[in-house]
Amino acid sequence: MATAANRAARFEQLSPGEPLVTIRDASIAYSTRGRAATLAVDSVSIDIRKGEKFVILGPSGCGKSTLLTAIGGFIPLTSGSIKIDGEPVGSPSMDRIMVFQDFGQLLPWRTVLGNVTWGIRRRFPKMSRSEAQARARECIALVGLDRQSPQYPNTLSGGQKQRCALARAFAVAPALLLMDEPFGALDAINRERMQAELNRMLMEGARDMTVIFVTHDVNEAVHLGDRIMVMSRGPGRVRALIDNPHVGSPLFHTDAMPLAAELRELLKDTENTVS
Amino acid sequence: MKALAEGHNVSPEIIEKLRKPIVVAGLCLAWELVVRGMQVNPLLFPAFSDVVMHLAAGLGLGGSGELWGYIWDTLRVLLQAYAISVALAIFMTGLAVGNRWAREVLSVMTGIFQPLPSIALLPMAILWFGFSQESLIFVVVMSMLWPIASSLTVGFATVSPTLVRLGQNYELSRISLVTTVLVPSALPMMIAGLKVGWGFGWRTIVAAELVFGATGGGGGIGWFINNSRLFMNVADGFAGIMLVIIIGLATESLFIALQRLTTQRWGTETA
Ligand SMILES: Nc1ncnc2c1ncn2[C@@H]1O[C@H](COP(=O)(O)OP(=O)(O)OP(=O)(O)O)[C@@H](O)[C@H]1O
Ligand SMILES: [Mg+2]
Repeated sequence: MATAANRAARFEQLSPGEPLVTIRDASIAYSTRGRAATLAVDSVSIDIRKGEKFVILGPSGCGKSTLLTAIGGFIPLTSGSIKIDGEPVGSPSMDRIMVFQDFGQLLPWRTVLGNVTWGIRRRFPKMSRSEAQARARECIALVGLDRQSPQYPNTLSGGQKQRCALARAFAVAPALLLMDEPFGALDAINRERMQAELNRMLMEGARDMTVIFVTHDVNEAVHLGDRIMVMSRGPGRVRALIDNPHVGSPLFHTDAMPLAAELRELLKDTENTVS
Repeated sequence: MKALAEGHNVSPEIIEKLRKPIVVAGLCLAWELVVRGMQVNPLLFPAFSDVVMHLAAGLGLGGSGELWGYIWDTLRVLLQAYAISVALAIFMTGLAVGNRWAREVLSVMTGIFQPLPSIALLPMAILWFGFSQESLIFVVVMSMLWPIASSLTVGFATVSPTLVRLGQNYELSRISLVTTVLVPSALPMMIAGLKVGWGFGWRTIVAAELVFGATGGGGGIGWFINNSRLFMNVADGFAGIMLVIIIGLATESLFIALQRLTTQRWGTETA
């Protein structure tokens, strides 16, 4: 735990704009028994700066989750390297909290409050229970789940579950927040509401948190990303890297429409390379 | 439904709740009336009221209270066997989780022994251990171990990979990953396995005691039932049977209460 705190402290010393995550020629292949290995990510090189909201955009199956999972340290690289603050990624750690696409990422035997408190107590073992709960309540309020805090996850809607997961991740204050299409399984209206809410949270409470956000939704990318990396259809390569001046502007804002259209074209191109 | 029902004098819900007690009472009454009305020989088939009197006497209400001793004999053996089975099942599942060969061995053994009524092993057990408590424990363990082990294995195998990753993300050690993620995840299957295992053990031990009784060994509620035939105390035998049923139902509802407290509340029971 001490090492985690030290490393977090070192992150703070980096000034914004300096690279936090350095990915060099990263390739990841899945070997399925009896079959040739499938290359999911193909020599990706990218620098992700401290404090930026970085979006990985690409069609389904292009290797976005694979790349993000590797950044989290959950799976090894086949070749190349991923460094965080100059150190190769090791096993997963609380510096890099992942919010999964899956609704089943909450501990079913803990309430909303219990889940968030659990995360806080893991990260700050010395914090007293009451202090941890107070902090948990703040984060739960931030995602608008106050009324649900004594409920068990099985009584929550999909959107509420993802909010709870978001609250738990924020409560831990990781240097790097990894989000794998957290709103992918929500209906359109809930998804837009969550996108706007996340944007507000990132603007207000997490200015210097580095966020890597995976999505296949063009509008989500334009709404949330300082920079947008477009991946080509599998094996995933970097197809384009775009600075986004419209980050934070309201969803479907007219100014952002040309960029959204451009991204949509890029995604279509990646589809064509397949056929 | 609720709102509709509230307008009536006797709501369907109350009838629904009373249906079972009414059926039970009706069956008991029928038993009593048939035996008394047709003047059945009480030495062959005693009336319900006689059986209840004997049961009460056996439990100490105006009688010797000897039944408690027999119950305790049975439960003591059963609890020992249960503890052994659970420990063995956890040990074997632990091996199976870590090793493919061990997993295959466990799966084959479970496949072989689960369909076998373990009471069929009693003659061998008597050969190996004699007319002893060890023989009883052996057959009872053989009946409980396999269902418990197989449900444990299934429970651990079906833990959500996302929750395992969550545990890794929050830097849980191997042991705390087991205690804080794997075990609670597998709990629905574990409780189900423990329930089934207990049910198998309960049937097996009563059967085994009957055989012991027939061959002159001693102790236990099954032995008591068999003895009542030898001494023509048929009402006592019926009281023993009733007690076996009552204890079986009581433990079953204990497990159900446990499920209500845990997996039902979390909504993971069908997982
Ligand atoms: N565990 C695995 N074993 C083998 N192949 C896998 C595995 N996980 C993913 N793949 C393959 O790797 C490729 C990339 O998968 P990945 O999950 O990273 O895609 P994705 O971009 O996240 O897609 P989506 O948007 O649908 O989530 C796919 O072709 C997929 O079939
Ligand atoms: Mg994915």
